[in-house]
Parts: sequence; C-alpha cells; structure tokens
Amino acid sequence: MTSVRWLVALVVLLVLPLLLPSFLVVVMTEIAIVALFATAFNLLMGFGGMVSFGHAAYFALGAYAAALLVKQAAWPMPLALAASPFVAAAGALFFGFFIVRLTHTYFAMLSLAFAQIVFTVVFKWKSLTGGDDGILNLWPPPALKSPLAYCYFTLAVVGAAMLALRAIVDSPFGYALRAIRENPRRARFIGVNVRRHQLFAFVLSGFFSGLAGGLFAFFNGSVFPDFAYLNKSFEPLVVVLLGGVQSFFGPLAGAVGFKVLETFIARQWPVYWPLFLGSAVVLVVVALPQGFVGLLQRRSWRIRTAR
Amino acid sequence: MADPDGTLVLQTVGLRKHFGGVQAVNGVDLAVPQGDLRAIIGPNGAGKTTLFNLITGDLPHDSGQIFFRGTEVSGLPPQALCRRGLARTFQVTSIFRRLTALENVQTALLTHHRRHHDIFRPARRLYRDEAMMLLDRVGLAAQAAKPSGIMSHGDQRRLELALALASEPQLLMLDEPTAGMAPRERHEIMALAAGIAADARLTIVFTEHDMDVVFAVARHISVLHQGGVIAEGTPLEVRGDPEVQRVYLGHRKSAH
Repeated sequence: MTSVRWLVALVVLLVLPLLLPSFLVVVMTEIAIVALFATAFNLLMGFGGMVSFGHAAYFALGAYAAALLVKQAAWPMPLALAASPFVAAAGALFFGFFIVRLTHTYFAMLSLAFAQIVFTVVFKWKSLTGGDDGILNLWPPPALKSPLAYCYFTLAVVGAAMLALRAIVDSPFGYALRAIRENPRRARFIGVNVRRHQLFAFVLSGFFSGLAGGLFAFFNGSVFPDFAYLNKSFEPLVVVLLGGVQSFFGPLAGAVGFKVLETFIARQWPVYWPLFLGSAVVLVVVALPQGFVGLLQRRSWRIRTAR
Repeated sequence: MADPDGTLVLQTVGLRKHFGGVQAVNGVDLAVPQGDLRAIIGPNGAGKTTLFNLITGDLPHDSGQIFFRGTEVSGLPPQALCRRGLARTFQVTSIFRRLTALENVQTALLTHHRRHHDIFRPARRLYRDEAMMLLDRVGLAAQAAKPSGIMSHGDQRRLELALALASEPQLLMLDEPTAGMAPRERHEIMALAAGIAADARLTIVFTEHDMDVVFAVARHISVLHQGGVIAEGTPLEVRGDPEVQRVYLGHRKSAH
C-alpha cells in the first residue's frame, strides 16, 4: 500500500513538469526548494520543539557560499552547490553553540539576532558580496539551463534530501530528539546530553537549509542580502504552520499551498497579498491547528496505532 | 571520607542547599548500603525533593559531597549520573507524552546503549524486544502502541518506572512513586518496584507520604526534618523514636 503510494508520487513528479506550462514548471521548482527549506526548519520546530526566527541565515549562507565559490573561486556549479550545505552547517554549528543554550522565546530571539548579523555582514561587505547589488549571473551549466532540466535536477536533489531528512526523523537520533521536545528534563535522566543533541539537530537543519539556499541561488540566477532578511526567516514558519507542524510532510503540503496561492493571488493583487496570507494563517491556526495535512494525519494515526 | 569497603551505593556528606533565606537541605549525611530499600520520610517542606534533586544532579548544591559507588559525583549532570547507574522518577510523572509507551522505552534503551546519535538506521526495530520485555515487567505490554499521554495516571507511573529501569541502574531513586494513586494501586506499584529491585539486586531510595506503604516495604528509614536527618534506622526503631513522634505528632513527649 505504502509502496504503491510512493510509486504514484514518483510518477506524478516525473510526468507533471512535462504537462505544465513553463511558468508553472518554474513555480514547481521553487516549491521544491521552499519545501526543503521548510522541512529542514521543521526538523527543529516539529521534531525538536525549537522555534528559530532566524533560519534565513543558513539559507543565505548556502546561497552566498554557492555564489561566491562560482564567482570568486571559479568552482564548477555542481561542486559549489555540493559545498553550500557544509558552509551553512558550519555557520549553524557556530551560531547554534550559543543559541541552544537558551529556550523558547530567548532561543527564537537569539536565532533572529544572528540572522540579522548575517544580513548586515552580507549587506555591508560590498567588496565581497556586492552589498545591495547582490551577485548576478549565476547560471547552472548548459545541460541544466532550461527550466525543465533545472526542475528535474532540483526535484532529484530535493527528493534525496527529503529522504535523508525522513531517515533522520526515524533514526535513533530522531527518537531522542522527539523525547527532548516532549520532556527535556526526563531526556536528561535517561542519559541524553540535551544541549549537544539540540546542537546536532541545529547543524543538520542548517545543513539542509543551506542546500535549499544553494539550489535557490542557481534557480534565481542571483543572490541578494534579502535572502538573510526577516521575511525569509518567517517564510518556513508560515509554510510549516500552513502545512502542519506535527507531520513530516506538513511543510511540503504547506509549500505547495503557499506558493500556489502566492502565484495566483500575489501576482494579481500584490497589495492585498499580505492581508490574504495573514488571514490564511489565522484561519489555519484556528480551524486546522494541524495544518493542511491534519485530516489525513488523523487517519494515518489510526492506521499506525492499529498496527 | 568515602566508605573503605565500597559497600555503600550512595553517600552524602554535609550536603547543603539554600533558596534565598531558606535552608532547604541543611547538612545531610546519608549512607545507603548496597541492596537497601531506603525510605526518606518527613513532613511537607522537610527537604525530601530538594535532597533528591541534589543527589541526581538536577540542582547544584551549595556545599558538601556526594559519593556514588565509592567515587565522588558532586556536580555531575543528570545524564552522566544516568550513565553511571543512577536512575530516578519524579513526583509529577515525567514521561514523553506524545510518544507511544513502546517508543518511550525504546528511546531510553537506545540512549542507554549509546546509539542515540545514530542517524543512519531506522529506530523502529532497534531494542524492540527488550522494550517489550520491560513493558511486560511493569504490566504495560498490552498498551505498547498507545500514546503515553492518554494512558491512565497509574499506568503512566508504571511507564516512568520502566524508563528508569531501561538504563539498568544500580540505584533507583523514586520521588513519591505513589503520588496521586488509589490506596490499592499504591501497594501494587511499591511491591512491583521492590520485586524488581530484589531480582536485579538494585538499591532503592524513595520518598513517600503514605506511612502504610513505607512501613510495609522499607528496610531502613531516614527521617528528614527542616533539612536535616533527625532519625535513621529500621522501621521498628524509627517508629519508636521520640524525636520522630514529636515531629510527626507536633508536640514534645519529654522535656529536656
């Protein structure tokens, strides 16, 4: 049953880009990247009980790492992309070392503060990052240049990353992470070094956020300081709230919903988009606290407990 | 200072802790030999839970020393003490509420076997049989797949006991294990803990308000009053101690 569902999903993902008009292929590519960013974010929020208000920092570190390695070091695009998550993970290790010392609101605020530092550095360090002008003309190699090719490439990379995240959630590490979310004190008394475990999760989350940033750099063809700004930090939060915090695929569902709405509403009535998005979030939080996947989730819960 | 024969599982020397102006634990000397079933009793506010929190590394102490199996462990964090063989339960049930009973115990076993940093293997089948055996031991095998947060209060306390046992402790510290339970259930869970302790040759230190339970299972009793130990001995000795009667009955039996 499950394998049939996976097969259907795979076929849909392979065929869909061929059927969609090219502007929707672009939207689909972006959805995949946002979904990866939000899923990486949700490793912390949904499974670790840690809400970061500054995840744009790691997205931006990945994006800028990819851009600078191509532009300044003349690395080939695939190599630069492969390096981007490691740079972001190093940043997450450094900032996370301080952030995981705090909890709840203070955790969120310190993560935000570090993201603002990244933003400021990127914005001001004109000689390296180009400041406000960003870094332009970052394109993938010719084979991946068409929207369709880059879409398939992104789907493959994001798919592999999502499988890895899924494995992490289901691993012994993931079990202990959920235990910390439920009850950090008890986790300590079964022998978990809570801070170290949280830092490990923070680094993993930063790693995959950085990969999303790297993919986005070549998707966008340019990188800007905005990537590290507040709006970008709140994006995964909104996506996760829309899709559902408690489920692994909630962020994916949220990313689809968020980007589809944005495509059809923000482009038609850009002025009303924030109003619409705000109302949508309120509606979901109040009426569907488990997000889009809430109803499905309740069914699969029953199946799981029956087994 | 530490015991020369190494027969003590737990020893505290002059342990102190104050909160503001309140001396919650005021120079406690405790010596618990291997295999003991030690009750720590005392009126509300006597410092029982604070003493527990100091010994288990949940709170830093102001002064004094703590020895566990002959080595000083003062200042070690809970996870380090857990690894050395000290496990505990809490007065307010402390479990992983949104995990199933099985996942609760599996997580404890994974951590005990130092596998909890592994990100490459699925955890579902790891230590599953061992977890089921532990659940069976505390009478929860039938509820393995239930989210622990929706189990009955008594069953949650049993699950917490299983969590503590998962680390194969030498010393089990139970802070009011029967809190909030019906009288019949209280005797059941204490008998369960005492039975497990006897089988696994582990030492138990527990606090308890229900004197029936205390006198039924404890081998030794330490009486705590205003942060200090005022009496210690077998249940019979403690029952006959005039100082204990004074504290518990609230009046002086004999004038000095």
